[in-house]
Amino acid sequence: MEKTEHKKGFTIPIGPQHPALKEPGHFRITVDGEIVTDVDVRLGYAHRGIEKAAEARSWVQNLYLFERVCGICSHIHAMAYCLGVERLAGVEAPPRAQAIRVLVAELERIHSHLLWLGVAAHEAGFDTLFMYSWRDRETIMDVLERFSGNRVNYSANILGGVKYDLDDEFVQFMCEGLDYLETRSEYYLEVVTTDAMFLQRTQNIGVMTRSQAELLGTVGPTARASNVHRDIRYEAPYSAYKQFPISIVLDQRGDLEARFVVRIKELFESYRLIRRILEELPEGDLAARMPRKIAEGETVSRVEAPRGELFYFIKSNGSDTPERVRVRTPTICNMMSVVKLAIGHQLADVPMILAGIDPCFSCNDRMFRVHLDQSVYANVGPLKG
Amino acid sequence: MMGTILPVLASLLLFPGGLTVFLTGMAYEWMNRKLLARFQTRVGPRWFQPLADVIKLLAKEEVVPEDVHPGLFTALPVVALAGCLTAALYVPLWGVGPLYNFPGDLIVTLFLLSLLTLCLGIAGANTFDRFSLVGATRAFTQLFSYEAPFLLALLGPAFVAGSWQIDEIMASGAARWVILTQPIGFIVAVIGLIGKLELPPFDAPEAETEIVAGSLTEYSGRGLALFHMGKIIELVLGITLIAALYLGGLYSPLDFLIKTIALLIVIVILEALFARLRIDQSVGLWWRYGTLLVLLQWLGTIFWKGVAI
Repeated sequence: MEKTEHKKGFTIPIGPQHPALKEPGHFRITVDGEIVTDVDVRLGYAHRGIEKAAEARSWVQNLYLFERVCGICSHIHAMAYCLGVERLAGVEAPPRAQAIRVLVAELERIHSHLLWLGVAAHEAGFDTLFMYSWRDRETIMDVLERFSGNRVNYSANILGGVKYDLDDEFVQFMCEGLDYLETRSEYYLEVVTTDAMFLQRTQNIGVMTRSQAELLGTVGPTARASNVHRDIRYEAPYSAYKQFPISIVLDQRGDLEARFVVRIKELFESYRLIRRILEELPEGDLAARMPRKIAEGETVSRVEAPRGELFYFIKSNGSDTPERVRVRTPTICNMMSVVKLAIGHQLADVPMILAGIDPCFSCNDRMFRVHLDQSVYANVGPLKG
Repeated sequence: MMGTILPVLASLLLFPGGLTVFLTGMAYEWMNRKLLARFQTRVGPRWFQPLADVIKLLAKEEVVPEDVHPGLFTALPVVALAGCLTAALYVPLWGVGPLYNFPGDLIVTLFLLSLLTLCLGIAGANTFDRFSLVGATRAFTQLFSYEAPFLLALLGPAFVAGSWQIDEIMASGAARWVILTQPIGFIVAVIGLIGKLELPPFDAPEAETEIVAGSLTEYSGRGLALFHMGKIIELVLGITLIAALYLGGLYSPLDFLIKTIALLIVIVILEALFARLRIDQSVGLWWRYGTLLVLLQWLGTIFWKGVAI
């Protein structure tokens, strides 16, 4: 902190309150004219003490608590928690429940990626694309609402299975929605790869090489856009991804355009997977019986959230409340790449680079201490301490 | 005595100057916002929204930040608006012909229109707000990049007409629309106007995702309202000027409405179509393409004029 105080240059604060940020985060951007020479990031404005709160609630109550970690990817949080608790209890959800979980997770990915497309376009000042993609996102919101009665916190999971079943009328409604979205996604892919004005803002901006992406520990589409083979659904298939494998979407280039392309291509993968699940949906129960108290032990549950790897560590002491639940969301893994990539770019590119990782500030705010080992970063270049 | 002053006052304050200019500006701002919203599949504002915005802002308390020159802070919006209102006197608004004219009024009008951008830049540089300072730098950078091609593009018709007076240029272009003989100049003029008004895609000086509101970040209340009024009046004046010079002149209110609204629609389509350009990209665009193209146009015109004589 001392060092940054004395640094020369003109510091532009972005956040905690800023029109570009819909959630609180603080970026101190030092510029020389329009060129960024230094970026400092400060998070923690939305720390809500969820991990501590979890220790005072029962296993079932926590399901609803963790669903509210993130306002966009609510289902995947509950799913990660359920998978972990089920593993501790030695219970496996029935195949039909697992398939429905994955189906909802993919619906959620579609909604999240379309939302991101709009936000990223807005950061580039391309409000028409923003409005179009959010209009189309309503299709998937309607599907989720028809499925669960809710647009955001669908609450589809229960410990040991799922709450809602699929009926023919809903499946018909969903398939129509997916058909429409598929044609729209093709159009968006064309726009982000051919619109010359937009490409000026994305091509060769924020380029992250594969080795940088690995060293900075990026996850999710951000890493995959730099050709890093990192997708939990692919590396360590969980739940129904074993029966319904996905193919990983990669891009060589590592710039902002690649991040657009990877996310939009993942949409097609999600459409394909959902249709495949509908074809081969297993019959059977929706939930298995769960004990009220969970056997002593600890486990790690990793799932692929729309933004990347979501990590849950769950420890039970044999009672009806967890002893410790640790959540690590993908944004915190990707945040350092913003700090690194923004340097040397124009100020105007910073919001784009930040949006490129699809940040979700409120989910990533946790309290913990990190002991920085500078030698790790020697290969990526200097980072400020 | 009273008999001569009253019509002059009425023409300055009611029609075609003063109140009419304000109301026309608001109407065109509403059309701009509504059309853009419809292109983006939004609902858009109600018809009285621009008026409501201005009344609200005028009624609000104006906060003068610390460390600014208070005189400049209050005077700049007034000067900017005054510049625009003065320019309105030399422009054939509503197709009734310019209120005043003299040889060389085209040049004066163009510089009066630049006053707004100048005031915006100084207003940004006057405060210590960092967003304003960056906004001011960008506003000036943009001023220096679009101004030359825009000026050259509007002087093209004047050159052909052999006059610097707006109504004479209009008269000479009435028979054969200048847009047909100088299409490049027309395109550069329209895009230059978008740059002048800081509308997308040339809205880097007030890019909200980077620098909040640019130069005007510290302005609230009256100052913001006056700057805003200046901007919407400049929108109307710019469109009128281009229509008068390139689209065969404006000789009746219907003529005015058809030609200016058509131009406005073109501008809104361009607004909706593109992503925001970075400031270096817009400077590059103007100097690499805009200026060169317009100079080519000039060369062609000079050549053609030489042959015709």
